[in-house]
Amino acid sequence: MTDGVQPIPKEEREARVEKARKLMRENRIDAVLMEGGSSTFYFTGRRSAAAILLFPRGGPVWLADARETPKALKDGGVSTGQVGVEERVRFELVDAIARELPALEFVSADPVIAGCRMTKSPGEIALLQRANDITIACYRAALASLREGMTQQELSANIAAGYKLLGVEGDAMAIFGKYTAFPHGSIQPQKLREGDLVLIDDGCRVEGYQSDITRTVIFGKPTQRQRDIWELERKAQDAALAAAKPGATCESVDAAARKVITDAGFGPGYKLPGLPHRTGHGIGLDGHEWPYLVRGNKRPLEPGMCFSDEPTIAIHGEFGVRLEDCMYITETGARMFTKQSPAIDQPFG
Amino acid sequence: MKEFGLEAVVIEPGPAMQYLTGVRWGRSERTFALVVPLKGDLGFVLPGFEEMRAKELIQPGSDIRVWQEDESPYQLIAKILKDRGVSSGRVGMDPSVRFFVYDGVKKLAPGLSYVSAQAALKSAGVDTTAQPGRR
Repeated sequence: MTDGVQPIPKEEREARVEKARKLMRENRIDAVLMEGGSSTFYFTGRRSAAAILLFPRGGPVWLADARETPKALKDGGVSTGQVGVEERVRFELVDAIARELPALEFVSADPVIAGCRMTKSPGEIALLQRANDITIACYRAALASLREGMTQQELSANIAAGYKLLGVEGDAMAIFGKYTAFPHGSIQPQKLREGDLVLIDDGCRVEGYQSDITRTVIFGKPTQRQRDIWELERKAQDAALAAAKPGATCESVDAAARKVITDAGFGPGYKLPGLPHRTGHGIGLDGHEWPYLVRGNKRPLEPGMCFSDEPTIAIHGEFGVRLEDCMYITETGARMFTKQSPAIDQPFG
Repeated sequence: MKEFGLEAVVIEPGPAMQYLTGVRWGRSERTFALVVPLKGDLGFVLPGFEEMRAKELIQPGSDIRVWQEDESPYQLIAKILKDRGVSSGRVGMDPSVRFFVYDGVKKLAPGLSYVSAQAALKSAGVDTTAQPGRR
């Protein structure tokens, strides 16, 4: 399913570096330090460098050996001032630089890096769309493989195999029965039984861009209780989607989903039974990235931002339900990449 | 730690955490940390909604402190340090600790000096060159 995929063109990556430079000046950051990973891929198309430095002028500086970083900073004229550090850079590297250049101050590079990565271009949205389409196709096939006695590992393996056949890399977590109340599953061995809820979550990558979709579906016939909670979950997901408009704060989207769940007598807050985590996260080259739909985050939504919408309802000892689709913000509101699940026994719309 | 002059060591999921506690956990943007003090019990800091899953892996009776999604995990790490009497001196960081975790702790416990725990972890038997996994 990867025919016609358009990788991010070189010009777009160069424009990203240009934007980073502008944000560096605005935030008085004299250099940005990254180690090989999603951020270096974003700016340069490569993940393999030991370290990359951005300066306010000139192209990115590549370092094959991280031990060259202090010298490269000095050569770039930065032996005092502020170095913005990408969030996942290891302590070891920062510490080695600090020992050689003790006058430097190390600050978070989030204003620069998240400032660039948080809003997606049409090309990025197209790649995310493809990753989402592939995940739905893969889940369709995998859920057709459900059978009595199946283990959670077998279902996970079927999903991973499906991704391979579709031409991408991806994986999934599978959770059955009462363990669906654990948002990220349990190590306890699980065998699928008639009447169990089945929860699958995670995604694949297309040109580095990630999908993240959760479906919760009944194996066999649902009880009324399962139906009721499933429908409440769907209402909570709908409420977050409706609240996600340009200018609305991130926390207001979380509050909208949470209100549906607390109004039904769950929670409040993160209390169980209820919604134990935030409603969603940003998504792009990382499966979870800024901005986060969480209480306390007053950042306003902007066109081009992409989020998961995934309130969970967890009821320990019984089951949990999570429906997760990702959405992107347009001038007029949020649009889902995928059709939401219409019913407990219909995972795909 | 005594030999290396460290009052405590802060560790993220990876080879060191697994070697010292048996806990294998994937790294994500949500801080999950282990504080190993020179004196007193180990302390775990982890996301509230992961408590049940984490307790399947962490030895019963451990000091586990949870942060909710809108709360600071670094506050809890700083509090464990304080509770174990670490208010000055050197704190070792697992060399693979990510900047945002180090920066978060440092801001809340600025009176401590942060150094690499590599030598101490290595001599304790940890393979500090192995890669930490991701979720």
